[in-house]
Amino acid sequence: MKDSLSLFNNHPNIWRAREQPANTSRFALGIHTLDEALHGGIPSAGVVSIACTTGIGEVSLFQQVISQQRKHKLRVFINPPAHVCAPWLTTQGIDISQVLIITPDNDADALWAAEQCLKSAACHCVLLWSKTMAAKTARRLQVAATHNDALCLLFSLASKKPSSLPVSLELSLKAHEANLTVDILKQRQGWPVHNLSVPFSWTPDNHAIQWAIKNNKRKVHSLHSVS
Amino acid sequence: MLWAYLHCYQLTLDTYTPLQQGGSADEPTVVYHENSNSVVQMNAAAKQHGIELGFGLAQTAALCPQAHIIKYDKDVEKQALLSLAHQLYPLASDIVINTEHSLAIRLDNLLQYYGGYDVLWNTLTHEINQQGIHYHYATAWGIEAARVLAKSQINQMLRERTAITKCLAHCKLSYTDLDSKALNALEKVGITSIGQLLTMPVHELGRRFTNDTIRYLTALRGETFPTRTLFRPSSTFKQHTVLPFEVENSQHLLPYMGKLLDTLSHYLRARNLTTSSLCFEIQLREAEQQVMPVSAATPFTCATAWLDLVSLKVERLVLQQPAIALTLLCEDFEPIEKDTNDLFSDRFTHLAQKQLIGRLKAKLGEQSTQLPALGNSHIFEKMTVYQAQGNGQSYGFDAAPTFLLDHPKPLSVASRVCFGPLRLQTGWWEENTQKQDYFIAQTPQGVRLLVFKDTESKWWVQGVYS
Repeated sequence: MKDSLSLFNNHPNIWRAREQPANTSRFALGIHTLDEALHGGIPSAGVVSIACTTGIGEVSLFQQVISQQRKHKLRVFINPPAHVCAPWLTTQGIDISQVLIITPDNDADALWAAEQCLKSAACHCVLLWSKTMAAKTARRLQVAATHNDALCLLFSLASKKPSSLPVSLELSLKAHEANLTVDILKQRQGWPVHNLSVPFSWTPDNHAIQWAIKNNKRKVHSLHSVS
Repeated sequence: MLWAYLHCYQLTLDTYTPLQQGGSADEPTVVYHENSNSVVQMNAAAKQHGIELGFGLAQTAALCPQAHIIKYDKDVEKQALLSLAHQLYPLASDIVINTEHSLAIRLDNLLQYYGGYDVLWNTLTHEINQQGIHYHYATAWGIEAARVLAKSQINQMLRERTAITKCLAHCKLSYTDLDSKALNALEKVGITSIGQLLTMPVHELGRRFTNDTIRYLTALRGETFPTRTLFRPSSTFKQHTVLPFEVENSQHLLPYMGKLLDTLSHYLRARNLTTSSLCFEIQLREAEQQVMPVSAATPFTCATAWLDLVSLKVERLVLQQPAIALTLLCEDFEPIEKDTNDLFSDRFTHLAQKQLIGRLKAKLGEQSTQLPALGNSHIFEKMTVYQAQGNGQSYGFDAAPTFLLDHPKPLSVASRVCFGPLRLQTGWWEENTQKQDYFIAQTPQGVRLLVFKDTESKWWVQGVYS
């Protein structure tokens, strides 16, 4: 009995919950509570799967990772839901000359392109929007990404049934008022965390105006005040 | 002086054999000369069937009905010989293309680079053998003498003058380039072997023969050295190959393209050049040739890098008719830049990027892989362009959405404005005046949209903030 267990005990890829998370290279998201839950950020290589509705700031959440890390490498958008807007990229601090947008005709081509990009050693991260993702293809992307030290952000629509893709990190995002609710469904070398609520703002808003209206009440100065 | 003479006796066959698919290499193959109705070249399998050189077509067909017959074409042989000369040129400087199937190489002036005739000869023969070309060879003091020896299939590397004279003396007069009239005249005076010719004094010959004959004979004896035009490699690359069968599936073109690319890479490497565009011309059976240009984002030399691109391009190629021949053209060369081999990591990334873009474009098409740039406009639709404008101004814009829809859609969900209004009034100096008030609206699901109100107070969704 003891012998059969020692195989597992000595296996370097098996993480035991009593251990501290291994010191793998990570990219911080810049949001303190989230980074803490993720033990310092998202892994610097591998596939991060994000399940959410389009338009709740799911790309902007990774703004710091996309724009600040490995600046000399490409950021590739594959199969984005609509035209990627160039001024948005510059607002995010992304060097626009390092952006490649790929719009393949079908999902198979998209996966092919993603794998080529990850394998090329020329890409910092690949942002892939995919409707269907089988475990096998996710595994391929994961291997291509980890071997070439690249990041793959895999965006898919939120689904009820829990998926179990062989990826480094699985997140589920929901917008709730001014906060973003993050579920860490699966992370390597760590426990899942649910309902983590982080304040998040990803568009310009009218706060400045509202603040100005509230605080700069026009004072009526009378020239001849009678006290 | 020492010249080597290479007589490539089955050049057409040699260019076909490596192209044939695996199993059919043992197929009896003959090269048939139409004008003389005779078999001029054949492989070992054909010989086993009893075919001999000089047989007519009927005789060949009777002996071996399944024989594969290739038409003899002078131009094909010439092309093959030229490509061989191109391959040899980096190894030997003085190459003379003598006829359409033989060339001569001057050896003595190369000796100081190689250190010995054996090394030199091994280097040359290795290169020729790698091309799979069969040849008879000989060496002598001049091209004429070496030619006679090679024709009599001496196949020896002779260096000593006495040894060459000895061998030459045994050769038949018919191997010389003398015409039949001169040969008759020689026979009349009792000269039947080259040995006799070699010992005869010049003034004796001068009395009986024309100037051309005398010139040839003195050259043969190594007394004069006629001027020859040396081979110079062409400044552009063009290589033609005839396909061994009619190709209907474009995928089957790849092995032949690979071979052409190999030759190209050889050509480029020797000249320290790279290229970023090349062109395949595919000759079709009964139609105009199909042209397939291939361009890379960065210049390559390496054949495998090119083949990767070409194979992606071929995947999309549809042949209108069966292809019979292929030509590879390459005219735009660039010198290899010093920094190409730089060891800085981002240099490598740069190259990897270019290769990646080239690869993606080849497989997915030009339109599917795009590099965005900022446009010179404040209109949302024109903010993103895919071809960088030369010197126009470009604008960044804080409120730009992540994704812009193809066409605005009517806003159909209840939403709350969280930013705006932002009025855009533009184009009034042209005919298309635009006046719209933009807002950022949030739906109950938390999705933020770029919406606008048109002049008729209708609400439209134009973008999404992700």
